[in-house]
Amino acid sequence: MSSCTKDKEFLDTKPLNEYSSADMWKSPGLVEAFINGIYVDVFGFPYNFLGVGLANFSGDESWFNEGESVDQFNKCMITQEWIPGLTGYNANQTDRLTWGRLYAAVRKTDLIFDNVKNIQFTDDNLRKVKIGEAYYLRGALYHYLTAMYGGVPLVKSAFVLSDEFNVPRNSYSECVDFIVGQLDSAALYLPATQTGVNLGRVTKGTAMALKSRVLLYAASDLHTAMSTYAQAFAKPELIGYVNANKTALWQKAKDAAKAVIDLGQYSLYKPSPASGDNISQNFIDYFLSRTATSEDIYVQYITPKSGIFRWVDQDPYTYLYPNGYHGWGGIMPFAEMADDYEMKDGSRFDWSNPLHKVSPYTNRDARFSATILHEGSPFAPRPADVKSIDPWNKIQTGSVDYTDSSGNRKNLLGADAGLVDDWSGGVYTGYFLRKFFDPNNDYTKQKENVPYRHFRYAEILLNYAEACIELGQDAEARTYINLIRKRAGQPDISESGTALKARYRHERRIELAFENQRFYDIRRWVAGPSAYHPVHKVVIKYSTTQNITNYNKADGSYWSAPVYSTDLLDNWAWDNKAYFLPIMRDEMNKNTKLVQNPGY
Amino acid sequence: MKRINHCNVYCSRIILHKPLLRLSLSLLLILIIFYNASAVNLINNIPNDKENTSVSSQNQQAESQQQKISGKVTDKSGTSLPGVSVLVKGTTNGTITDANGNYTLSNINGKATLQFSFVGMKTQEIAVTGQSNINVALEDESIGIEEVVAVGYGVQKKVTATGAIVNTTGETLRKSPTTNVSNTLVGKLAGVIAVNKSGEPGYDGATLLIRGANTLGNNAPLVVVDGIANRDLGVAPGDIESITVLKDASAAIYGAQAANGVILVTTKRGKTGKPSITVNLNNGYSQPTVVPEMTNSFEYATISNELYKYAGKQPIFSADDLQKFQDGSDPWGHPNTNFFKEAIKDWSSVTNQNISLSGGNESVKYFLSLGTRFQDGMYKNSASNFRQNDFRTNIDAKVNKDLDISFDVSGREEDRNSPAMGAYGIIGGLYTLKPTLRAYWPDGTAASGLTPSVGSGNPVVNVTDQRGYYKGVNYVLQSNLRLNIKIPWIKGLSIQGNASLDKGFSSGKSFNKPVYLYTWNGQPDHITTGAISGSNVISLSQSYGNSSKVTWNVVANYLRTIAEKHNIKLMIGTERQKGNGNSMSASRSNFISDQIDQLFAGANDQYKDNSGSGSQYARLNYFGRANYDFKQKYLFEFVSRYDGSYKFASGKQFGFFPGVSAGWRISEEQFWKDNIHLFDNVKLRGSIGRTGNDAISDYQYLNSFSFYNNSYVFGGQEAMVMQELRIPNPNVTWEVADQANGGVEMQLLKNKLSVSFDYFHNKRSQILWQRNASVPAMTGLTLPPENIGKVENKGYEFVISYNDQSKALKYNVSLNGSYSANKILFWDEAHGAPDYQQSTGYPMGAGMYYQAMGIYKDQAAVDASPHISGARPGDIIFQDYNNDGKINDLDKVRDKRSNIPKFIGGLNINLEYKRFDLAVLFQGAAGGVTYLQQESGTWANFLKEDYDGRWTEQNPDAQKPRAFNWNIDYFTNRANTYSLKSNDYLRIKNLELGYNMPDKINKVLGVNRLRIYVNGTNLLTFSKIKRTDPEMNASRAFDYFIQRVFNTGLVVTF
Repeated sequence: MSSCTKDKEFLDTKPLNEYSSADMWKSPGLVEAFINGIYVDVFGFPYNFLGVGLANFSGDESWFNEGESVDQFNKCMITQEWIPGLTGYNANQTDRLTWGRLYAAVRKTDLIFDNVKNIQFTDDNLRKVKIGEAYYLRGALYHYLTAMYGGVPLVKSAFVLSDEFNVPRNSYSECVDFIVGQLDSAALYLPATQTGVNLGRVTKGTAMALKSRVLLYAASDLHTAMSTYAQAFAKPELIGYVNANKTALWQKAKDAAKAVIDLGQYSLYKPSPASGDNISQNFIDYFLSRTATSEDIYVQYITPKSGIFRWVDQDPYTYLYPNGYHGWGGIMPFAEMADDYEMKDGSRFDWSNPLHKVSPYTNRDARFSATILHEGSPFAPRPADVKSIDPWNKIQTGSVDYTDSSGNRKNLLGADAGLVDDWSGGVYTGYFLRKFFDPNNDYTKQKENVPYRHFRYAEILLNYAEACIELGQDAEARTYINLIRKRAGQPDISESGTALKARYRHERRIELAFENQRFYDIRRWVAGPSAYHPVHKVVIKYSTTQNITNYNKADGSYWSAPVYSTDLLDNWAWDNKAYFLPIMRDEMNKNTKLVQNPGY
Repeated sequence: MKRINHCNVYCSRIILHKPLLRLSLSLLLILIIFYNASAVNLINNIPNDKENTSVSSQNQQAESQQQKISGKVTDKSGTSLPGVSVLVKGTTNGTITDANGNYTLSNINGKATLQFSFVGMKTQEIAVTGQSNINVALEDESIGIEEVVAVGYGVQKKVTATGAIVNTTGETLRKSPTTNVSNTLVGKLAGVIAVNKSGEPGYDGATLLIRGANTLGNNAPLVVVDGIANRDLGVAPGDIESITVLKDASAAIYGAQAANGVILVTTKRGKTGKPSITVNLNNGYSQPTVVPEMTNSFEYATISNELYKYAGKQPIFSADDLQKFQDGSDPWGHPNTNFFKEAIKDWSSVTNQNISLSGGNESVKYFLSLGTRFQDGMYKNSASNFRQNDFRTNIDAKVNKDLDISFDVSGREEDRNSPAMGAYGIIGGLYTLKPTLRAYWPDGTAASGLTPSVGSGNPVVNVTDQRGYYKGVNYVLQSNLRLNIKIPWIKGLSIQGNASLDKGFSSGKSFNKPVYLYTWNGQPDHITTGAISGSNVISLSQSYGNSSKVTWNVVANYLRTIAEKHNIKLMIGTERQKGNGNSMSASRSNFISDQIDQLFAGANDQYKDNSGSGSQYARLNYFGRANYDFKQKYLFEFVSRYDGSYKFASGKQFGFFPGVSAGWRISEEQFWKDNIHLFDNVKLRGSIGRTGNDAISDYQYLNSFSFYNNSYVFGGQEAMVMQELRIPNPNVTWEVADQANGGVEMQLLKNKLSVSFDYFHNKRSQILWQRNASVPAMTGLTLPPENIGKVENKGYEFVISYNDQSKALKYNVSLNGSYSANKILFWDEAHGAPDYQQSTGYPMGAGMYYQAMGIYKDQAAVDASPHISGARPGDIIFQDYNNDGKINDLDKVRDKRSNIPKFIGGLNINLEYKRFDLAVLFQGAAGGVTYLQQESGTWANFLKEDYDGRWTEQNPDAQKPRAFNWNIDYFTNRANTYSLKSNDYLRIKNLELGYNMPDKINKVLGVNRLRIYVNGTNLLTFSKIKRTDPEMNASRAFDYFIQRVFNTGLVVTF
């Protein structure tokens, strides 16, 4: 017997690199680390900063030059087997918006609620904050799921192996109610601000801001007018409200936005620029601020080391900087996007206006040059090996036609148009992304550490204005839209009715450009065809009869006046099925109670 | 900076690219060794004489009516054999033959019998019967009736063994000039299948499968070296005496680790005789077996323009560009670069030197060896190479007539060097870089601005240490103390004990620094500007790990023959093995200078990092074997193991694994002997048994949580992040392997022809598999593997060999073949998939593919059939398999083949003519497929084979598709049978031609034996796959190329 005991002891080894579940659910420190992991799932690595950003899938925001089937997504070639570009090879970040990844994170939040009784919190306040965070994170995960798939199975307790896995989808309204309930609870438990070592954790304001977004989406046409895009769908309750009380829904959306405003905690950054202020610079400063400003409701901080794939591996410099910085230009704004920025006087920009055409990049909305890099934009110092091509650090997306020494007509590309790294084909659209990048950061020495702003007060003001418009309260809406415009240095608007609605939607597109909003906005407005259409680039040419060796003259001036034209880039196309993503066939096969989204 | 770099490059080129220089250095080395060795020989001869004298004086004291006997000992070819032990049987009297094979013994009784024994030769006994001159020709110890094989905790006579066991000798393996033993077995041992993914120095070991794949889980066989389990095949090839493979239930002696077969390696030991020094020198050169042919810049520009046209865009290259690419008139602006040529050299060095000392007397025997091996990387100015240094000391001592002690110590140092970028990035770059770019500018500077599709920077620089390096050093120290006690009061009983300690130390050092590349701004003055390309951060990370393993076992053996008929052999034993490991790592970056690559020189800032981890394991078991035979005619064996493994929950740790086998030597029957004279030996045998496979992840029965390599920032700091590792499976247990084997072995035509055939039927059940296919992702469960899978594997093996001699020509031809076909009987198959997609009933690893039906000739052809939206002329036609008018996932069909060949065979031919010998191994495989993909498109180069004969508007009847963008066009991102190619091959795996110097020359040189040879591996290959080596089995072949080696060598014995 004694030898048996010894034998048993001999074989009873313990894992040296793991915690048992008993240890795990006792220790508040380990639970906090577990919750930290869900932050990674929910906020992840800011989508926009990677090569494949959600903006590239929005149809009319930006172009992704590395293929990865993103073009097929924008042609709505989505099937039950394959969501082009959004899942699979190299779609590192967007992949997190998909079914399996989101549900894996939902399980984590469920585990916290299932085990919360056992956690030996020494501090009741800490207990409340952790529960609040778990509520927020679960609400956020279900928000992503419903925004992509409509109503989904509401899993509120972690599955065990012996459970029945055939679970039907909940209705859209049940999902929204559940999410709102989670966020209301979160707002109760969470503090108004997080400071010190907790800086970067969600707050009461974060929960209320997400609630505003959720209710805004819920009241939108996508979920109240299903017959306009999915006539034959047998289960409309899965994707929206059947016989919706639109007024009630919009009222809730309005109230949720107002509640954030009424907190009195947030305000626009530099809301009233004086004449002569550099408003573009205000915008740039705001987006590059390393600390939270009064406008920030939730900011994800970045250290040069942090992130899913860490800046060390996936930095904006490599993935998004222009070609002349040895960058890949992963997010290139379309000509349509650039053209949508108004003139400084509030009128529309128009290529057919000869004044606009001669000098398209002057007298534009201040947000234009703060968001988009174009021909001639001053930007970061060039890398050492490009300095001889461009000592002036100005973006070169055009080309010069000239005559070489033997009399042949030749063409010299600008540094960002493909002269430096010709593999990338240089510039595809004529534009690069400017928002979020600090040109003063020397990327060869120090990786990016600009925080990413997930919720900012400007969005809440716009959410509020949209609800007011839908409720017929145009004057109230204009007041709030004009707060945004005033900060941007644009004149007030005075439209009402349908014209106001159009003006509002335009304002939202400009203000929140490349912030992962457009993708959802197009869908909830049931506005697919207005975004997914043939897309264009701008072509810029200089010409001279001299034999030249550089894009600019020695003094930095150009060889001639530029000639601008636009050209077709690709034929995006819309299909109504793309309002929702499909549930993969594989998942449908495993859970026979699931009903597929319309059109697949 | 620029000039210094340049000089380094230039100087190293001179050294590495002068084979003549290398050869003359080698010759010099050989001469030095000859000189030294002759001196050693001289010295050795002196004590030898003394020994002889003392033996004779002993004899004088002992006996009276004696005579003097002398003679010469040779091998069968007449070469004299020095160092042969000549003993008077039953005494310790004897001597050793001198340098010419001569011996003299005085005062020998006329009735005595002399025993002649020598390493590698059959011992011969000759009765003196009054002769005074006895010349003996010793025979090689080849496959014969007395041969024994290792069977786990002991040896067995091959003739009475009843399991499916194959073995080979170290001498056979030595003929293959590869540094890794795992690459020498295929084609030589029936039933052994090797899959080799990479030829990278230090990482080129093959994955071995015994009788093919048997499980969805881990298929790795257990490796036992000198009786100690869970060692590896890193043994120096020159130290190997034999390798034995247990393929069937005979492996049950290793219980829960035996299901995938057991490879038993036995190292050389000393034999009685005077000290003998053997020096083996090899100097070889390697090159890739296949370098893919890519398009040149004109071809690439042409195919690119087609791609732009298909996308509805203007051509990217003008007619003028095309002209310049073709005529090479503008090397600056319109280059034509073959990146493989720029980065890979014609020949890389492979060397292998080994020296061993062996000998001993009745009391102490010893085998000592020292060796060093080196493999250079295939790149120009390569930063990658591998060196192994090893030693071994095997000592056997006879303390008294009942007690033997053996003490073995061996160690090796493995030194792996590679550039900062791994092979995948480098090779990927070479495949994808467009020929319209350039590796070097015409002024010799390395160009920047190349595609970073896979890897980044410039591959001609990435292969050097200019970007930094990785250095991995691994030390292995293995020891074993063995005692064997004969229990004097019970006849036939002996007890053996082993205590072994193995230690491993490893370190890794990875240093990264910025690299200079050059840009040309397009100006006619052709001045290039150098600058740091990419990050200018200098960083270093280092890791240290150590591991130790202790094994103790006690085995009792009982051997008894009753009434000269009943042979009984019993063995029981118990073994414990326990091990642990620890590792630590640290890193710093932002070094101010790259001149010192030590951690202290890095910045003491937020980027410094460190980590560590640990592991442990334990195994405990009881085992036994019983053999019984009746007159060596009816054979019976029972093996079993009661095996306990730490991997399972308390109470579920132990399992019982039995194996039983029987044999009938029908040729020993009187009726057979009387009637059938053709056969010398015929044995029928069969076995059934049950073994286990516990090669699964540890602690599957625990619900546990762990930190993982991720973080989120709170309060300006990276916070730690934890995740659930697994849902526990409290019932987790080992895989169960039920194995049945039937075989026949025969020798006929006076032992000239031998034939063996084995049929096996394996059934693996309780395979751990996740129920992912049936549990929805919506559950969020990281599923534990459960013991649910079932796989069947059936097949056969045969070996036919023929030996003969005609006049001076001795020859041996041996053909072996192994066939194994597995199919999944049960696993977690998704519900709802149609029958033709189900994998149950198909081989493991068989993929699903759209059925390629040819190429759309024109738009009319596209319109005429169901097609994927966006299909256009020149695309591959997919079959509407289920005839539903749509091409979608449901049209994929499960193929019947996996990438592992079903049949592997080898033809070994050995010829000896006078002093020449020739050994050739033809080796082939059949029945597997490889799915070939090539990353090509507007951003990456095309294979020439995809360019030639492709569909174009001018070539509408093409058999190959149009220019494509990889992973974007539907026929490249949806797996289809167009790219599924048979990976059958036949190759000259090894060839060796040797020459044994005649005695006259040996005498002049002062050596006993000198053999020179040339040999090679992977010399010639026939396969349908042209773009890569068929054995690599690589889909998107960015792995380091498998090498062909040409080698010259010599063996000298002193």
